[in-house]
Amino acid sequence: MECQTQELANVMLVRLAGRVDHTTAKRLEDQLLPQLDSAAGVDGKVVLDLSNLDYMSSAGLRVLTLAAKHCQKQQREIVVAALQPLLQEVFRISRFDTVFKVFKTVREALETIAPAAASVYEGH
Amino acid sequence: MSTLLAMTLPARLDAAAQGVAFVVACATAAGLPPGRVAKIELAVEEALVNICRYAYGEGAGEIHIRCRCDESGQFLIELVDTGRPFNILAQPEPDLTADLEQRPVGGLGVLLIRSLVDQVTYRREADRNILQLAVQQSR
Repeated sequence: MECQTQELANVMLVRLAGRVDHTTAKRLEDQLLPQLDSAAGVDGKVVLDLSNLDYMSSAGLRVLTLAAKHCQKQQREIVVAALQPLLQEVFRISRFDTVFKVFKTVREALETIAPAAASVYEGH
Repeated sequence: MSTLLAMTLPARLDAAAQGVAFVVACATAAGLPPGRVAKIELAVEEALVNICRYAYGEGAGEIHIRCRCDESGQFLIELVDTGRPFNILAQPEPDLTADLEQRPVGGLGVLLIRSLVDQVTYRREADRNILQLAVQQSR
């Protein structure tokens, strides 16, 4: 499991990669949650790029739920983008569409929530 | 693969990955496509974690895993443990219609197991919990 962040205008782009299972979920929690507080500026938004995330079990969903609740308390918008097929299925089953706005690509997410960040984003 | 393949592992969270890898290898050998194998992998992880946590808790024990294909074209996974009676299917489902503020943080594992395979059955037999996950091979 890898968790890398990049600041784009007033958006923090968090790239998750690899596998989040019951053995790696704690590492995700320790890396992701503190990052949310440092998301650029008071109105900073967060985009979770899951395009390289191959696998996520309920232990990972728990961390994502914590992240969503954390952002809600801070009135900070957090969205997810680029789910692989297994993750799409897991999100559907878990009704995560009620937890996060889900976008097909990172670019689409940025264009929707933060056009300024989209203009400096170089990926898809 | 109609023959029975089996392995036994300690009922510990740090050993669950071995059991998951075994089932993935069996499912792949049975000819299931990668997308289905991925769902089985996730369901088995959730099941093993639940057995370690709730059938055994702090206690030590083992989990016996058996994989086979039956005559009707089903890939069957049996997870057998000698822990306390624990019917995973009797666990309450989380309320997923709640607002984010009220939404439970965990508890999605059992829902994933039920949803990712075609059939889940539990029985208690001779002081053992037997959880069977079934997947239709032809779907």
